[in-house]
Amino acid sequence: MLKVESLNSGYGKLHVLYDVSVDCDKEEIVAVVGPNGAGKTTLLNSIFGIADIYSGSVKIDGEEITKLPAHVIARKGIAYVLQMINIFSELSVEENLRISASYAKIPDIDKKLREIFEIFPILSERRKQRAGTLSGGERQMLAISIGLIRDPKILLLDEPTAGLMPLYVDLIIKKINEIRKERGISVVLVEQNVKKALEIADRAYVLVSGQIIFRGSPSDLASEKEIMRLYLGMGE
Amino acid sequence: MEIISLGTLISALTWSSILSLMAIGITLLYRTTKVPNFAHASFVTTGVYSATIVSLMGFHPYLGMFLGFILGGLEGLVLFYAILEPLRRRRSSIFILMIATLSYDILLYGLLNVLADDLQTTYKILARMIYYSRLDFSIGGVPGVAVISLLALITTVILLYILLNRTTLGVALRACMENTALAQTLGINVSLMLLFSWFIAGGIAGVAGALLPFYTMCGPYIGMLYIAEMFCASILGGLDQIYGAPLGGFLIGFAKVALISVLASFVGPWITEYAPIIPLAAMAVALVLVPKGLVAIKIRRG
Amino acid sequence: MQLPLNEIALFMTDFLALFGVYLIVTISLNIQRGLAGIPQFGLMFAIAGGAYITGNMATRIAVWILGIKTDLDPVIDCTAVLSMVNPMLNTQPMTSFILILIYLAIGATFGAVLGLIQVAPAIRLREDYLAITLLAFAEIINVIATAYKPLLGGAFGVQVPSVYGWAGGYRYGVATLAILVIAAISYLYAEYLERTPLGRTLKAIRENEVAAASLGKSLVKYRAIAIVIGSALCGMAGTLWTLYGEYVTPTYTRFYWTFLPWLMVLLGGIGSNRGALLGTAIFVALDKLIIYYKHSFEAFLPFDVVWLDYILLGIITAIILIYRPQGLLPERPYIPKDIRKRIEEKIKQF
Repeated sequence: MLKVESLNSGYGKLHVLYDVSVDCDKEEIVAVVGPNGAGKTTLLNSIFGIADIYSGSVKIDGEEITKLPAHVIARKGIAYVLQMINIFSELSVEENLRISASYAKIPDIDKKLREIFEIFPILSERRKQRAGTLSGGERQMLAISIGLIRDPKILLLDEPTAGLMPLYVDLIIKKINEIRKERGISVVLVEQNVKKALEIADRAYVLVSGQIIFRGSPSDLASEKEIMRLYLGMGE
Repeated sequence: MEIISLGTLISALTWSSILSLMAIGITLLYRTTKVPNFAHASFVTTGVYSATIVSLMGFHPYLGMFLGFILGGLEGLVLFYAILEPLRRRRSSIFILMIATLSYDILLYGLLNVLADDLQTTYKILARMIYYSRLDFSIGGVPGVAVISLLALITTVILLYILLNRTTLGVALRACMENTALAQTLGINVSLMLLFSWFIAGGIAGVAGALLPFYTMCGPYIGMLYIAEMFCASILGGLDQIYGAPLGGFLIGFAKVALISVLASFVGPWITEYAPIIPLAAMAVALVLVPKGLVAIKIRRG
Repeated sequence: MQLPLNEIALFMTDFLALFGVYLIVTISLNIQRGLAGIPQFGLMFAIAGGAYITGNMATRIAVWILGIKTDLDPVIDCTAVLSMVNPMLNTQPMTSFILILIYLAIGATFGAVLGLIQVAPAIRLREDYLAITLLAFAEIINVIATAYKPLLGGAFGVQVPSVYGWAGGYRYGVATLAILVIAAISYLYAEYLERTPLGRTLKAIRENEVAAASLGKSLVKYRAIAIVIGSALCGMAGTLWTLYGEYVTPTYTRFYWTFLPWLMVLLGGIGSNRGALLGTAIFVALDKLIIYYKHSFEAFLPFDVVWLDYILLGIITAIILIYRPQGLLPERPYIPKDIRKRIEEKIKQF
């Protein structure tokens, strides 16, 4: 589905990723974990055409999207949920969703809205409220919904549980899993919360200092004690 | 004893309208591209000479507003496409972008001077002293420019409102202004939106410039003369609110023209020479009282 | 053989004088922007300040020191007063020298005061707002100088004492020398400043305010210091230029005294003093050459050569920004000798 091969990328002269290869199949949840500054966000930025790609390729279903600008990639069925400032705080919840849907040229927006509100009922309660007034967890739900309402095949999530209280963390992780199952979406999940990410991931990558140092199943990763301790802050 | 004459009030109104038109563009560009545009000075001056060119072609200089819109818009377009966009792609700082607009302004200033010289020799006009007030019409004693500039301002604000709120293009533009990164993820072509905003802003400045010669004597330096005041009006109105620009424009316009006149009637005419200080002081006060620009904590990457 | 040599000497003196004055200004800008990260778009403020205060006070002071008794106003009636002052100065090189020092001190002090005024916005505003505010502030000084007649005699300006008159035919040469001496001192001072704890702190603040603040460095104090030092230098530049031309008019515009220095520093490389030297030299040379060879240009240029200056300036700057924003001689990180030795040894080990 999504294939990143030997990617070298960064921002201008700042080289962040070195020879990174990641792939994500249909209906898979792939977790990308690693310490701060490892380049996880850069990986998502590279896939979406925001970072500068020096060499390597990014393909969706075999189609090469490496050199394409972000707004074109957005129309190829990928939704990217940014880590921070990922909603239009001046607009209402409903307006946020409508704008997203209209740009994705969704035919029946009202139907899609109802679907979203079924997944995240709290958003329905707050539909007329200014997005800036939502709590942290609600904002993340809105941010994910903004991506989801576009009916993507692939969902890129950048630390969706960052800074949230455990209640919301659990909720969001659960919802991501549900969304994947019910809609058959592939998810690339970048996360700081390793434990939670591994709970729902099918495969995991560990990114450290711009390089992949582990790829495999979550259970294999859990048994890599050294990696768990050194890079993922999970001691004995 | 009359403290302030009707004529002065009308003059203040006129200047406020024109200043507001100039400030709207600056605020718009600041919101989309996050950069204060020094080249606005030249966009305005281009408007002045658009009026001149139109009058040389045999039409009334007021029609220069249309030519001014086009030429100003084109100049904005070129600045963004040729200079700012490459710099943006290189992830240059706001600061570099600001200096880039400055360099473009200097370039245009040189070219406008060449134009003025050329017009002077070719058409035997005083191209460095463009003043059309005698060509202006009058409605019951009120100079036409007061009416036209106010109308121009109102029309511009209404059109902008319609554009930004009722058209898909405009809503996309607003999305870009609010949150560029997010807009990009929605499939909005941010570069194109920005390009469009530069065309509009440059165009509006051109319109303002075409009105100037009816109010005061203009030369190639006229844009540079008022650029600080334009920034003041924008900042006073709040750089994060496009509709604040007319507010800032009117506050400063009236302060500068009307207030000075009032003060002059008390302390004497000498104070009028200090009028240019008012916009600057107003801006300083605004920034102190409403610190929209507190020192931001800059955390560098890598 | 005399003539061509004379012409070259004249050109060189002219060039070096302007170069020297601009060098002081660009060094100052380097300290404020390059070292402390302040977007000093109000550079002209202190330069004009130095020039105007000199214009206002120079004759007054000369009269006082020379013990001349007169009721004439040194500003309004400057010509008359100076007709008494200058002949005396022409025979008193020592007094002239002392006057120069006094004027420089006044220029530097007044510049520093103007710098202090700029500190208030500098510590509270974000980069782009600050740039515009400083720009706006600077405009005020020209408005006042033109409107307030007692200051400089209005738009006509005022003449100042001929402090180089004693050198007779060599007065321009001596004046240029004085400028270059101060310029050299400024350059050396700036280089020295970079290597002091103060300089390093300023750089640290420029790079990362949060980290610097966490080390307990007071941002306010250091930014203020940088602006004051820079403005003092600018004040001296204004004074020197006024003394060179023996006249001052309220025409220190932001184009010549804010924007041009910025472009010079940009070309050379922000933060690098050698870069400032190179950038200043190139721009001043370019400017002078265009003016000197005006006639040759006029042959094939369809317009006045003066505008060529602006057009080239705009284009060159845009090109620099796009293709070489770090300038020709970018700043190199300064590593103290002992640390550098240790690094080199480590590398050898591999």
